Amino acid sequence: MYAISAENLTKKYGEKEVLKDVTLKIEEGEFYALMGPNGSGKTTLASIMASVRLPTRGKIEVFGKQPETAKNVIGYVPQENFSSSMLTGKENLLYFAGLLGYSKKAAERIVDELLHRVGLSDDANKRVTAYSGGMRKRLEVATVLFPGMKLLILDEPTTGLDPSARRKFLGMLQELRGEKTTILLITHIGADAELASRVGLMDDGEIIAEDDPESLKKASGLETVINIETTVKSDKVVAVLREFSERQIVLETDVGYRVFCPDVDEATPEIVRSLDAIGCSVTKIEGETPSLEDVFFQLTEKPVSEAG
Amino acid sequence: MGQITATLTKTIKEFIRQKSVLFWTIVWPIIWVLIGSFSYTGNAPAEVVSYTRGAIAISMMVFALMTAGMANLPGNIAQDRERGLLTKLMSMPISPWRDFVGRILALLAFSSVSATSVVLVGFLCGARFSYTLIEFGQALGFILLIFIASAGIGMLISTFIKHVHGAIMTGVGLTVVSAAVSGVMTPYTYLPSILQQFAKTYPISSANSAITYLLVGSEYAGYNPLSPSQIALTLTLSLLVFAVGLITYSKLCWRKD
Repeated sequence: MYAISAENLTKKYGEKEVLKDVTLKIEEGEFYALMGPNGSGKTTLASIMASVRLPTRGKIEVFGKQPETAKNVIGYVPQENFSSSMLTGKENLLYFAGLLGYSKKAAERIVDELLHRVGLSDDANKRVTAYSGGMRKRLEVATVLFPGMKLLILDEPTTGLDPSARRKFLGMLQELRGEKTTILLITHIGADAELASRVGLMDDGEIIAEDDPESLKKASGLETVINIETTVKSDKVVAVLREFSERQIVLETDVGYRVFCPDVDEATPEIVRSLDAIGCSVTKIEGETPSLEDVFFQLTEKPVSEAG
Repeated sequence: MGQITATLTKTIKEFIRQKSVLFWTIVWPIIWVLIGSFSYTGNAPAEVVSYTRGAIAISMMVFALMTAGMANLPGNIAQDRERGLLTKLMSMPISPWRDFVGRILALLAFSSVSATSVVLVGFLCGARFSYTLIEFGQALGFILLIFIASAGIGMLISTFIKHVHGAIMTGVGLTVVSAAVSGVMTPYTYLPSILQQFAKTYPISSANSAITYLLVGSEYAGYNPLSPSQIALTLTLSLLVFAVGLITYSKLCWRKD
């Protein structure tokens, strides 16, 4: 039986079609990442699976049932910080334990275990206002770790976390993966998606590619990528870099650009020289193995996330 | 614990930990009890002053109940919606009705505390009341009607005003304006005839007059709010507002799009 089986799912808001005949099968115990830019339909798809929205047409089953009747095994963490900042971490979890019907005594015991599991035992009695972004997200993930949850749907859980909090959070996901829980991770961060056993790349309401991370990279044909950090970013710089890139596509990053080029050793000095000639200094340049963001960009010529 | 108890506990804690909620629902009406008790009673005979203070305390208790239902409740629901909690709850095996009951019971508990505090301060300021046990019981019934009418309006606000500040401001605005024009904050006899008509129709102000009539005296109510037709109107409209609010909340706030 599939944990999730979606066939020809379509979702329309007025005339706008945000999901277009999406078919997706996720095996029980699988860690699946759905990666795509904002507005690609990931959250809509996840919320249909979590029984928060209804599809316009198509079929969706969670463990062989309609999502509405499988709610007791679905743990959904929406993108927003839904925990109450007026309550302590423990009070928040006791609230969810109460909603799930635990007795007071059982709730106390399970909540203490969950707080320990997400590393918040020491901060259990602090109000959530005093929590960092990472602590708050871990608390919210704890709301789906009550016994009996077989499918976790996590919508952009690492967005806004600092690198340390993100690493801790991803470590926690890796532990869950070992427990045979089915995980659906919605993300726009390639490094997060790489943890999954299978990744679906989503663009404009469709899943455009789907495989394990390594196979996706291989299938893209990308061998190496040159990561360039520059002192300036401009159309002129992009025009120069296009000459070095396969299919003339250049991905803009926070600190520079990524150029898809098979021969790093040959191209590197040429790139430095050409950029220097237009007054742009290169602060760092190195060849890297391609990321899932690169694969996505190569397929769609759109970045997964906007460069800051 | 159960869903109702969990929602009740969470909502009460959120109410009592928010300074703005405490201010608008307890401190603000108490300030007006103090101002009203010592500023607007002039050189009238001592007994009249005491009963006037009683009427002021009742009005401010009603104002506290209105604020709780019309501003605190929608503020709390809108906050839960804005931060994604309603989305999270929709993905869980829980009932919107139990969520509603939990919230209403929390509001009832909080409103009782605020109403008692306001009346107690009025009493300490020299407010005097005159009633039999039966009249006191009847007054409690009208207090309950004010509570449910305010909660009904609050649920309507929370359904249609999506953002926290918008919901709170709308609730506070409606409370202040409707209290001012319906005889809750102004003596009924001072109102122009068109507003007197409104005061008799608006279930909160008519219930306020009924409580004043029962606990302070007929002359402080301005008219007879206990005629059968007036009681029927107050009762019907209070229940109607509550029912409309409840149905709208459970159908629209929890609707899957």
